[in-house]
Amino acid sequence: MQPVQSFLQHQTRRAFFKNSGLAAGRIALASLMCPDLFQARAATVRPAGGHPGLPGLPHFAPKARRLIYLFMNGAPSQIDLWDYKPKLAELFDADLPDSIRNGQRLTTMTSGQKRFPIAPSIYKFTSHGQCGTMVSELLPHTAQVVDDLAVIRTVYTEAINHDPASTYILTGNQIPGKPSIGAWLSYGLGSEAENLPAFVVMTPRWSAKRDAQALYQRLWGAGFLPSQHQGVALRAKGDPVLYITNPSGVDASARRTMLDGLAKLNRAGFERSGDPEIQTRIAQYEMAFRMQTSIPELTDISTEPKSVLDLYGPEVTQPGTFAASALLARRLIERGVRVVQLLHREWDHHGDLPRDLPLQCRDVDQACKGLILDLKQRGLLDETLVVWGGEFGRTVYCQGELRRDNYGRDHHPRCYTMWMAGAGIKGGTVYGETDDFSYNIVRDPVHIRDINATILNLMGVDHNRLTYGFQGLDQKLTGTEAPANPVKGILV
Amino acid sequence: MNQTPDTALFLGHLHPLLVHLPIGLLLLVAILEFLSRFPRFKQANANAGLILALAVPATAMAALCGWLLARAGGYQDNLLQWHRWAGISTAAAAAFAALLYRLNLKRAYRWCLVPSVGVLVVAGHLGGSLTHGSDYFVRYAPGPFRAWLGGSPQAAPVQTNHVELAQLPVFANVVRPVLQQDCVSCHGPEKSKGRLRLDTLEGLAKGGKSGPAIVAGKSADSEVIKRMLLPLTDDDHMPPNGKPQPSADDLALLQWWLDSGASPDKQVSELKPSPRVTQILAAKFGSPAPIVTTVPPKPLKDVLPQSAALAAELGIAITPLSPQEPWLQCNASIAGTNFGDAELKKLAALGANLRWLDVAGTAISDGGLARFETMPNLTRLHLERTHLTDASLAQVASLSNLEYLNLYGTEISDAGLDQLRSLPKLRQLYLWQTKVTPAAGKAFAEARTDQDQLQRWREEIEQLNAKIREAHISVDLGTIFPAAASTNTTPINAVCPVSGKPIDPTKTLFHNGVLVAFCCDDCKAKFQQDPAPYLAKLEPKKEPQPATK
Repeated sequence: MQPVQSFLQHQTRRAFFKNSGLAAGRIALASLMCPDLFQARAATVRPAGGHPGLPGLPHFAPKARRLIYLFMNGAPSQIDLWDYKPKLAELFDADLPDSIRNGQRLTTMTSGQKRFPIAPSIYKFTSHGQCGTMVSELLPHTAQVVDDLAVIRTVYTEAINHDPASTYILTGNQIPGKPSIGAWLSYGLGSEAENLPAFVVMTPRWSAKRDAQALYQRLWGAGFLPSQHQGVALRAKGDPVLYITNPSGVDASARRTMLDGLAKLNRAGFERSGDPEIQTRIAQYEMAFRMQTSIPELTDISTEPKSVLDLYGPEVTQPGTFAASALLARRLIERGVRVVQLLHREWDHHGDLPRDLPLQCRDVDQACKGLILDLKQRGLLDETLVVWGGEFGRTVYCQGELRRDNYGRDHHPRCYTMWMAGAGIKGGTVYGETDDFSYNIVRDPVHIRDINATILNLMGVDHNRLTYGFQGLDQKLTGTEAPANPVKGILV
Repeated sequence: MNQTPDTALFLGHLHPLLVHLPIGLLLLVAILEFLSRFPRFKQANANAGLILALAVPATAMAALCGWLLARAGGYQDNLLQWHRWAGISTAAAAAFAALLYRLNLKRAYRWCLVPSVGVLVVAGHLGGSLTHGSDYFVRYAPGPFRAWLGGSPQAAPVQTNHVELAQLPVFANVVRPVLQQDCVSCHGPEKSKGRLRLDTLEGLAKGGKSGPAIVAGKSADSEVIKRMLLPLTDDDHMPPNGKPQPSADDLALLQWWLDSGASPDKQVSELKPSPRVTQILAAKFGSPAPIVTTVPPKPLKDVLPQSAALAAELGIAITPLSPQEPWLQCNASIAGTNFGDAELKKLAALGANLRWLDVAGTAISDGGLARFETMPNLTRLHLERTHLTDASLAQVASLSNLEYLNLYGTEISDAGLDQLRSLPKLRQLYLWQTKVTPAAGKAFAEARTDQDQLQRWREEIEQLNAKIREAHISVDLGTIFPAAASTNTTPINAVCPVSGKPIDPTKTLFHNGVLVAFCCDDCKAKFQQDPAPYLAKLEPKKEPQPATK
């Protein structure tokens, strides 16, 4: 069925005049009330290679020009990394008081447990930097740049399982189908880079000895936004983009000829049906063609001096590691990419946490420091927002058998820790306070909506005004269910 | 002077509050009586008697309070005497008029109102002069008027445009205006509270009740400074809470003058001003402060079509910074080495609207930066990873609005850095991978930071933090923790209660509040299932075995 033709068949002469009469009136009224309306469209600044942002955006002068989002998929344990709880040490194996849990819903993984024994962290915390923030011994490198971080200890969410929780924080809703934060930013602010997408995703490999939660394309998808805004995922193994090199016997000019022919066919299709997705497809082919030269240049790190590589740690030269991806993230934003997201998997330590958490931390720790220092020395940290965190926290009580040297932790949505650094962020801040069990929030709760509102705010976007009409609702990243506010306490 | 009781002073301080009502009432009576002489307003004086009856006690109260206030002293004697007797005369005249009215001697009563209003006006004017200064009324009157009213001709404003700031006499041009503005209304010729006059150098040196107001060479020991530095809520703080307070800058100027000897006639340069004082003076007298040039940008909608065309032509991104302001941000670094001096020249067309410019990694050269003179409003400038040398920095130094400057990976050296000292707003400067030496970088940063000011601010923060601490009360009922299963981390047994073999200290279990160790996981499981048979074998290592249920 051709949608355009079926629409045309339903157009009667009467319906046409009725609609057009009303429409003409509406246009006249709109032009009277908002004289700039028709000029603004015409005058939208269109960057040469990328796509333009919406007129009127940014809503206010941005602090951050770019975003690097380090997503720790699986939920890192805040109690073992950031949320220092010294009083727990003497409560080893004590039951978590009911007054603390307060009848909270548990996952099916621990709801069958007879008791909820407290498992204090076995890792030492020490104070670091001028700010004196307490950081676990598992993050010795990140601890060195703690004066640049704003650590938010009181992030919370409603979701208690990975899939909905990750979907929630990255797209603003537990139900799939909404655009991801990178897609919203690409849609609202447009793209500067000519040869690279506005939003690039990497999924580096991990070291813990277990399978990881699956990732879904929707975590960087465009939802109901035009699909050109979805994140382009670079692969961790082999060529970063599949078929980036021409097969033998096909050179660049042959590829060009083929694409020109294909574009002609696609344009004919668009003229017939008017489906905007066809235009996206044409644009994506063109982008892919340009990426055939830009990606090899991007991933060639032979020009990086050794001192820079050393910042990120020894794994930086092995493609697909978190360190290599972090370096690529910096190279991407230098080339005009607006949002880079790294999704590092397997932080889901229900058991054997002391076996796996150190491996995971070793993957990311030095690279996080390296990224911050590298951005800083280049003067880019001042314009780049770096966000680190997972989809929820982990429980203070043990899942499974509790031993002095081994324990596991279940999902905990009521509080967890994220950090931000860079543009517009007050470094050396610790925001919010949890109770002595890192179970409930005592002061300054930050919903994941507020995290997203903060990110948009720093990028110059008012989260309430970046909307897209879909299914009869002006949809927005922070949802329409409850108000969201930027976290003022961590902003400069 | 005799000590005045507090109650008397309290009543005295009501004088300014009470004094205005009788003035209004008496004038009203006079006006009503005057109007009633015209047939159209014959009834105007119908209530004159009532108003007069109100006016008499009000006048008496005001006069009484005034008498008490005068006992506190600190006013110019001559003026005070005149005001006192004029005020009392007003009260007496009002009472006399009321008496005549009561006796129905209407004609005499009306005539009596004339001198009543006369003394009232005199008393009121003198009172105003006491509070606000004798020239208050006429200070801003037009020239001929003022002469006629007896005011002194207006002092010519100090001409600083022609005189170099360095040659300005400090006391006359810097110190006296500050005192004049914040102190002299109470410590001057008309009113000298605490017998202190701060309008002349002699007055400062002579001091008042608390001794000399200044100690030459020691601002910290000078009474004026001590009083100004007391907390605002302190009774001895001057000027009193509620009156205009001297600004931190003014205070710094007074301290500087006192510390350098409180000279009556020395000039600015002779007193060797610190960088901060120079800055304050420059701001006050409007010279050698760094000059920030701002060229008005065009409205955003006028430049957008042009910027769109340029962006497309040059392969760069130009976007508005926000819809409310006319500023543009331009990212030319995405064009890489395709962007050079010729392209930068084209960008000059958007000149005054450019706020952020990123030409990192492009092919621009020293010569091309001459275009910067058309972009005076830039606040952020990325020049990193280009082949710029020291020669280019003269152009950069002319961008007086610059706050962020990135020069990493260029050929800049120490010599070039010196040229940037004149950038008044620069806050971030990136020089990684340049020829600039660490020592030069450090010296640059230090020269641009006013350490004295920073120290003062830190002290201020410390004081505020102390206030915050004092404002808090902490009520602690103790944190109630559940009883720990055991705080003893060593097992109580040396041999496994199930097998009798030596224990493995990592295979442990809490049983009735004590840590029990086993030789292997199997024994532990057996014990867990049914501990009863093994309890007897659970020999305590040191202490007696705790009672089981």
